[in-house]
Amino acid sequence: MPTITFSFRDFQQLLGKKMSLEQFEDNLTLYAKAEVEKYDKAKDEVTVKLDDTNLPYTWCPEGLARFFKGILGLSKGLQKPTVKSSSYKVIVDSSVKHVRPYIAAFVAKGRKLDDYLLKQIIQMQEKFCEGYGRRRQKVSIGLYAYKKITFPVHYKAVEPSSARFTPLEYDRLLNLRQILELHPKGRQYAWILRDAAKYPLLEDDKGEILSFPPIINSSSTGRLEVGDSDMLFEATGTDEESVNLAANIFAHNLFERGFEVFSVTVSYGGRNSITPQQKTEKISITPETVEEVTGLKLTAAQVRQLLAKAGYDSSGSFAIVPPYRADIMHAVDVAEDVAIAYGFDKIPDEPLKSYTIGLPHPSVQKINKLRKSVVAMGFQEVFSHILTDKGSVVGSAGIIELGNYMSETYSAVRNSLLPQLLDVLSRNKHADYPQKIFEEGIIAAREGSGITEWHSMALASAHSKADFTEMKQYLSSLLASAAAKLEIRPAEHPAFIKGRAGSIIMDGKPVGLIGEISPAILAKWGIEMPAAAVEINLDFLFSD
Amino acid sequence: MAQNVLEIAASLHRLERAVLPHLAKHSSVPDMIAAAKMQEVEVVRALNWLQNKGLAKVTEAIEEVIALGENGELYAKSLLPEARFLNALKSKPLPLSEIKKTAGLDDDEAGASIGVLMRLKAIEPVTGPGEKAFRLSEQGKELAKSGLKTQKFLSGKKFPIKAKELSEEEKQIVAGLRTRKDILAEEIVKSRTATLTETGKAVLKAAATAKETVDRLTPEMLATGKWKEAQFRSYDLTAPAPRVFFGKLQPYREFLEEVRGKFVSMGFEEMTGPIVESEFWNMDALFMPQFHSARDIHDVYYIKEPKFATDLPQQLVKKVKAAHENGFGTGSKGWRYEFSEEKTSRLIMRSQTTACSSRKLASKDLKIPGKYFAIGRCFRYDVIDAKHLADFNQVEGIVVEEKLNLRHLIGLLKLFAKEFCNTDKVKVVPSYFPFTEPSASLYAKHPELGWMELGGAGIFRPEMVKPLTGSHIPVIAWGIGIDRVAMFKLGLNDIRELFSHDLNFLRNAKVA
Repeated sequence: MPTITFSFRDFQQLLGKKMSLEQFEDNLTLYAKAEVEKYDKAKDEVTVKLDDTNLPYTWCPEGLARFFKGILGLSKGLQKPTVKSSSYKVIVDSSVKHVRPYIAAFVAKGRKLDDYLLKQIIQMQEKFCEGYGRRRQKVSIGLYAYKKITFPVHYKAVEPSSARFTPLEYDRLLNLRQILELHPKGRQYAWILRDAAKYPLLEDDKGEILSFPPIINSSSTGRLEVGDSDMLFEATGTDEESVNLAANIFAHNLFERGFEVFSVTVSYGGRNSITPQQKTEKISITPETVEEVTGLKLTAAQVRQLLAKAGYDSSGSFAIVPPYRADIMHAVDVAEDVAIAYGFDKIPDEPLKSYTIGLPHPSVQKINKLRKSVVAMGFQEVFSHILTDKGSVVGSAGIIELGNYMSETYSAVRNSLLPQLLDVLSRNKHADYPQKIFEEGIIAAREGSGITEWHSMALASAHSKADFTEMKQYLSSLLASAAAKLEIRPAEHPAFIKGRAGSIIMDGKPVGLIGEISPAILAKWGIEMPAAAVEINLDFLFSD
Repeated sequence: MAQNVLEIAASLHRLERAVLPHLAKHSSVPDMIAAAKMQEVEVVRALNWLQNKGLAKVTEAIEEVIALGENGELYAKSLLPEARFLNALKSKPLPLSEIKKTAGLDDDEAGASIGVLMRLKAIEPVTGPGEKAFRLSEQGKELAKSGLKTQKFLSGKKFPIKAKELSEEEKQIVAGLRTRKDILAEEIVKSRTATLTETGKAVLKAAATAKETVDRLTPEMLATGKWKEAQFRSYDLTAPAPRVFFGKLQPYREFLEEVRGKFVSMGFEEMTGPIVESEFWNMDALFMPQFHSARDIHDVYYIKEPKFATDLPQQLVKKVKAAHENGFGTGSKGWRYEFSEEKTSRLIMRSQTTACSSRKLASKDLKIPGKYFAIGRCFRYDVIDAKHLADFNQVEGIVVEEKLNLRHLIGLLKLFAKEFCNTDKVKVVPSYFPFTEPSASLYAKHPELGWMELGGAGIFRPEMVKPLTGSHIPVIAWGIGIDRVAMFKLGLNDIRELFSHDLNFLRNAKVA
């Protein structure tokens, strides 16, 4: 979820209305799926966390202000920037088709960048590319000082070692392959190009390299500075709709900041695309649909009014979606916007009326009965994580390992509850003995080419006289109450002392293990008391 | 007084009675143990009781005791390296390599020996060409005959020795040996002495003449009627008794049982699902696009082997694929990208219990109207701290019914606030989840905790519901951050304590 920081005064200027911080906080949660994380009074900086990962136009003060202008009735209906046509061109070479096929661009002129505005533009660029742009894979954005560029600009893909330039934050010439190997941004984003034979490159008509999308700009042309007043914006990516969205959002923001926006013709050989497109889409929305989704009985006029608050225009029974939004897939999306504009706090609630019978899962009652029997025998229940240290398991047959674990402590799925109980014993050497503990829970293991999960229960007892007989007493009492017949056959298992370990058999099938914990295992865990334990598969026990 | 003494004598424990006579003869506790032929714990316990009753006075002294260390034990038997060095030179001067061989010394030992013996002026180097050699000095010859003092100390003394019994010369030897590795081991030992008080002496006298008392009533006494003559020893009723740790259910797990009970009582049926889940049921069936950030390698745990589920319902996969790519005839545009069937079968650790809901919606036994809930373990690729776990519980559910809408959703959320936070003060605000539209978050004002986010909810998107159920029936879905409520109920500040392995904590925890 994106988090952005901006000047609260700037926001109010964009809004064109004073708003107290408290009102701002309330409005954010009530309307904008967002909340204030902090406010730095000295700097007048507010930090906002946004929930909607699919609505990038709100990830900046311009977009938030635009949204609230509608909600508060300061503007009505669909807002559009003025885009002037121009002869600027980006010529796309067919070589980019297999690596990064799309580009959108525009030129913005006429307002000097100050430090704050530059920072805002860079923040929006980063948030958009990291979040919506899928860490630059789907979309990445470049900004350039207009005065250094000779149009038309050329977008093409080249052999990695055939082009060289000095990237930003570097002091010498590198070719594209070297940038991926040596430059910090190159290393960070090299994964995007791991399967590419040729790399994308943007250069002007004089052959001056502007950037190596989506990695880094050139230090001579690809740097925007305080005091610059004219710039070129471009977004490249793998999805045309997304690069167009980026251009629409940025063009709108810069227009609202006082820039003149000029379109750029992107020439794909056979066809041209003039960006920012500022194309609107329409979607059918009737009072019936709104009622179906929200339960609100509204007239067509009321729906139109609420749509205008939410930034839409209306045309008959259609809502016109603003070009800075690409999240509207279905009428339910529009219906939600109507409900938000109406105010969730004003929507009356209604109870459910249908009668249904509540039921716990069939195994729950049996398991709980068993847990209570074990407690009655004096055992303390423990509740552990299912993820475990792959090094701590006793008998690693069938262990399910995680491919991308963060720490060894949680690197595998437990295939037995015994290690968890040993962990309890090893951590509580100074607690009073006897220590009688148990756990019931899901365990899992590989079986053939698949995975099996089942309920397991394990008991352990540690004290100076803990032994097999004690465990067998508990086990037989438990199985007596579960009306199951107990048979124990000698078995060998690394967790138990040889000759004092048994396999628990039911209906001819092994369903568990019982024994005295081997001193080697106790020593490994640093447990200083003898211990005995039992573990049984409850799914077998209950399968009748 | 006399009466009191008799009473005390009558209430003496078997162990006290046994120790009392020896206490009159010996003052050292070890001597007493030896004389009484009892176990140390028994004597110590008896002495403690006697002291508490004012019959004995027990004093503890702390003593420094010197024992042999690992090397000390060795050198006491097989001589110190310098002694062996000295012996090797007894008959004639030798080059160093010969000395080492004869005396069985390694480089370190030989070096240390030369240092010690030079300081004692016992050896001197032989000057001349060739390898370094040594011979005994006059003093050395004397020492070779009489033996090194340190050696005599090590081999001659009976260890352990009390430090205060050392002579001045021995103290110096000890100081020298202390600097060397593992020759001496020093310990601080407590020694106990005990004497009878005046009352103690009187009680001893009285006890000698008092009638034998009985400690325990036995089945035998009952059978034979011997109990009639028995005089029972009276107990010290104020003596502390050790605590019994009775069995207990784990408090967090019990809390989850309570939650389960609540949902069942509200008419919800429980649903379950596997913890190792396919991306299909966990995400794709929920209409979460395959490029969604929560599906990143840094957000979900992937199974190393096997990598793919083999039991996906292929026809359903096709429908879900269509929903992602083009909306599956729901009137939606869909997410408009190329859906990967390989990715959908990738096995992961379930990241949300919503996976249980997608399975339920697709199952043949789905009831309409129906209310379902799941309490299940979920897994996230997170750094563990006081607020985050890699492995935690979620409570989720769905309500499937014709004509449900946002107003019912808000009603249901208000009901949950009442059930779980006992409050009518709630805020339902817009929220975002990729699989619900509209989406809402529930904040409840807890009487003690103030406003807290209790959970998220929404109405499943048509693009999700239609492929799974075959129709566009409204499905309200909700999830409650149950861990947060549990922490409050159990009075915990650190989420890790929910899965605590601290036995004292568990034994003392209040069960909800």
